[in-house]
Amino acid sequence: MNPYLDQLGSIAPEITLTVLALAVLALDLVWKGRRSSLVGAATIGGLIVAGAQLLAQWDTPAHTVFGMVVVDRFANFFKLFTVGSLVAVCVFVLCDRRERKTGVGEYYFLLLGAALGIFFMVGTNNLLLLMLGLELLSLASYALAGFHKGNKQSAEASMKYVIFGGLSAGLMLYGISLLYGLTGTLDLSAMGAGTGALSSTLGGQVAASPIPVAIAVVLILAGFAYKISVVPFHFWTPDVYEGAPTPVTTFLAVASKAAGFGALLRFLGALFMQSGVAADVAAYGDRIGLLVAIMAALTMTLGNFAALRQASLKRMLAYSSIAHAGYTLIGVATMTEAGFTAAMYYLAAYYLMNLGAFGFLLYFEGVTGSDTVDSLKGLGWKAPAVSIAMIAFLASLTGLPPTVGFYGKYLLFVEGIDAGLGWLVVVAALNSVVSLFYYFRVARALFLADPSTRRALPQPLFVGFLVVLGIANVALFLYSSPLREWATRSLDIVART
Amino acid sequence: MESHILSWITFLPLIGMAVILCLPKNATGAIKGVALLATGIPLVLATQVYFGMFDKSAAGYQLVERVDWIAGIRAQYFVGIDGLSLPLVWLTTLLLFIAVPASFGIEKSQKAYYALLLLLEVGVLGVFVALDYFLFYVYWEIMLLPMYFLIGIWGGPRREYAAIKFFLYTLAGSVLMLIAVVALRIDSGTFSIPDLASLAGAGRLNGANLPFGGMLVGLPFTTWVFWFLFVGFAIKVPVFPFHTWLPDAHVQAPTPISVILAGILLKLGGYGMIRACFPLVPDAFQTFAFALGVLGVISIVYGAYVALGQTDFKRMIAYSSVSHMGYVLLGFSALTVWGMNGAALQMFNHGTSSAACFLIVGVIYDRAHHRDLNGFGGISQVMPRYWALTTIAFFASIGLPGMAGFVSEFMTLYGAYDSADPRFRILVVVSVIGIVLTAAYLLWAMQRVFLGPLNEKYKGFSDISFRETFSQAPLLFLCILLGVFPFLLLDWMDVSVQNLVTMLGGAG
Repeated sequence: MNPYLDQLGSIAPEITLTVLALAVLALDLVWKGRRSSLVGAATIGGLIVAGAQLLAQWDTPAHTVFGMVVVDRFANFFKLFTVGSLVAVCVFVLCDRRERKTGVGEYYFLLLGAALGIFFMVGTNNLLLLMLGLELLSLASYALAGFHKGNKQSAEASMKYVIFGGLSAGLMLYGISLLYGLTGTLDLSAMGAGTGALSSTLGGQVAASPIPVAIAVVLILAGFAYKISVVPFHFWTPDVYEGAPTPVTTFLAVASKAAGFGALLRFLGALFMQSGVAADVAAYGDRIGLLVAIMAALTMTLGNFAALRQASLKRMLAYSSIAHAGYTLIGVATMTEAGFTAAMYYLAAYYLMNLGAFGFLLYFEGVTGSDTVDSLKGLGWKAPAVSIAMIAFLASLTGLPPTVGFYGKYLLFVEGIDAGLGWLVVVAALNSVVSLFYYFRVARALFLADPSTRRALPQPLFVGFLVVLGIANVALFLYSSPLREWATRSLDIVART
Repeated sequence: MESHILSWITFLPLIGMAVILCLPKNATGAIKGVALLATGIPLVLATQVYFGMFDKSAAGYQLVERVDWIAGIRAQYFVGIDGLSLPLVWLTTLLLFIAVPASFGIEKSQKAYYALLLLLEVGVLGVFVALDYFLFYVYWEIMLLPMYFLIGIWGGPRREYAAIKFFLYTLAGSVLMLIAVVALRIDSGTFSIPDLASLAGAGRLNGANLPFGGMLVGLPFTTWVFWFLFVGFAIKVPVFPFHTWLPDAHVQAPTPISVILAGILLKLGGYGMIRACFPLVPDAFQTFAFALGVLGVISIVYGAYVALGQTDFKRMIAYSSVSHMGYVLLGFSALTVWGMNGAALQMFNHGTSSAACFLIVGVIYDRAHHRDLNGFGGISQVMPRYWALTTIAFFASIGLPGMAGFVSEFMTLYGAYDSADPRFRILVVVSVIGIVLTAAYLLWAMQRVFLGPLNEKYKGFSDISFRETFSQAPLLFLCILLGVFPFLLLDWMDVSVQNLVTMLGGAG
């Protein structure tokens, strides 16, 4: 067998995505933009193929192809996550009643391009490829955020996104160059293990003078912080989320954010938590963990308090997603294997609840033409199935049992306390109480007001999708082992303790 | 053979809820019928457990069911009852069964109402039978959602405010509780409440396995756990100063929900303390017992004093709950068998008498559409039977000898006076002020509503109906029965109470 072809086989999902992206663009040209639903269906079909390929890769042992792309379970987790969110986003696009159905080919093309970026971003130990993947994701996202070309808000959103993105990409690149200068390698695991080209290792650098290492790591963290919208790199989030078309917002809030977390976990895991890592490097990692913990506390607090006063549900969900990034960071800040697992579980839970919440938003944008919480008044009685599903999403977002959101928070709390971050857990717990207030403003508008005179639209497919998500939020708590098992077994990048 | 009766009692309402959700919206007759069945059968089963299956002379938990649930964190579906939980389980099934016919007057979206009511019952019963702390917490939180909607949708004019206030207060308490539970779990490796209690009894639940060791900011681990858990439960009771959600929730909630709130939900706080707080941190409990006693007495006196100043009938009864639940805390903290028995009895008795009082308010409110105590007068002339029932309920609430409240309050005060800590005697003396105030506000309210010249507006009032009497009767019957034969409860609780007091290090 040709070894080259074998290596190609390892990146089959990436190839599928590339071919699919081009095919979608071509199909749209051939059909002259008239059969937008078919293009959407083709995209979903292709994504399912990619998903199947990923599932088939699950049992292959971790290996590196072309010297750069890592195929392991960790990458697999985030790739499947991305494919899953993209399928949901495509369903949203198909069910979106407000969307113009022109240029839909480019729309799917950009989404798939962004997904490809994520695939490389989470599937590499090489900082350069990581940067390239991140940029591919960012570029596609900029275009997607500004997809409503005539819309001023959308254009503004895109512009803000570009400026913040450019800045943080620059910071990150600078950090990477510093790290390269210090260790002589771009490969994270080589950096951590001290097998780089230069005689000076990361361990030696930390021992001699930690300042340059600190600057490098902090600059790189800034790049990740921007992607997962962590304070103080969150300023773009509300505007972009509000201005972008709702399916794109969903993509940014779910897939793009999870990808940022994937890359962040790999960065920290490979640098500080591998088996070959020197003792003082690992100790240094704990100090980075403290920095992350402080960022987590600020992020969740700011996100929740800002969300309190939002009239627009979309903007509220944007701030809520900032807050949830803060919760997830608890797991990262622990700098332990169990903590990382908890963070990954929380991301999976976050997927279930946020997809639902954004789907709900999209559905009611179609009904009322508005995205304010007030416009939902009394609609719960008119569209009971979607609204009851939304109660499940809200409970999950708040962290009330019996939902996956509660279980995710529980796991984060356990690992947080176990890692000596009790204060952070207390902050997070009090934040949950604050978040209850704004999440349940939605429930209040839906059910506590008298029945609305508006009529809800029958969209059986979309409603069914949301109801299934709502049930999943509860059912995967009552029967939670598979999801947790998946998250646990996916974490194969750090040393087993 | 393992009995699944507790699971049946807990989940029958859930089945009822599922059936109701499948019924069409306008089949109100069928919905009410299902609701009656789904609350009635658990009552029958609970009665059977009470008089048949439960062995009151045996120590430990009975009718235990234990299977693995979430393997990854070793949470189990672990339920069982002892003498402390059984009366409350029975009371819950009774009050829910009473709440259904009491709700027949509700017109607005009945399907949702009864579905939520049944869901609420599942949560409450679950808390009373759960012996796994994770399960306990899940049930504890499941209650909040239906309660939020029941107050928020079917409540009075300020219902939205009251509903979210209730929700926020309780959640604030329960997140603190969650942190404590997590810490206990890390330290001990188990969620089982009995195991945690025996570890604590052996002095092995001291935070040694946590990263910070046994001390945190200069305070022992157990102190932190104690206060986190205690505040979580105290908000539910509610103990002064955490009580401010209660008047709002009560005043805005529809009558049957007030009945459940006062009758059962407040008991969850008290029950939580003796099941899932004090036994897990007995040392910290002993250290702070006097402080708790003080809080209890403040609740007694303050609640009664504020009730005296109310002009809203329902608000007055709400504050009387704060006052009466203060006895429970005082009884717990005294650490004597008498005090503990009295407190446990008081929980049950307050469940019947306050539920009866709220039903009383509901009857007059349905007719007059206001609750202003100064707006009535002479009602006894048009509603003599109603007046008679009110008298029984109020006298039970005052704690007249021969009524249930007298026995439990007397036992509590006696137990407190008998406490090893002599400072409790001062507390007893102070709390007597509460008794006087209680008599004052209730008798004064009775005078304003029922006596004096008849208000001309209310001449046409019909007397209490059969349906309304039907809801009242069992509660008032219990108030009298347990006043004369308190052993009908005490005999069931005795073994468990003895155990509890020994476990907490009190005089046996």
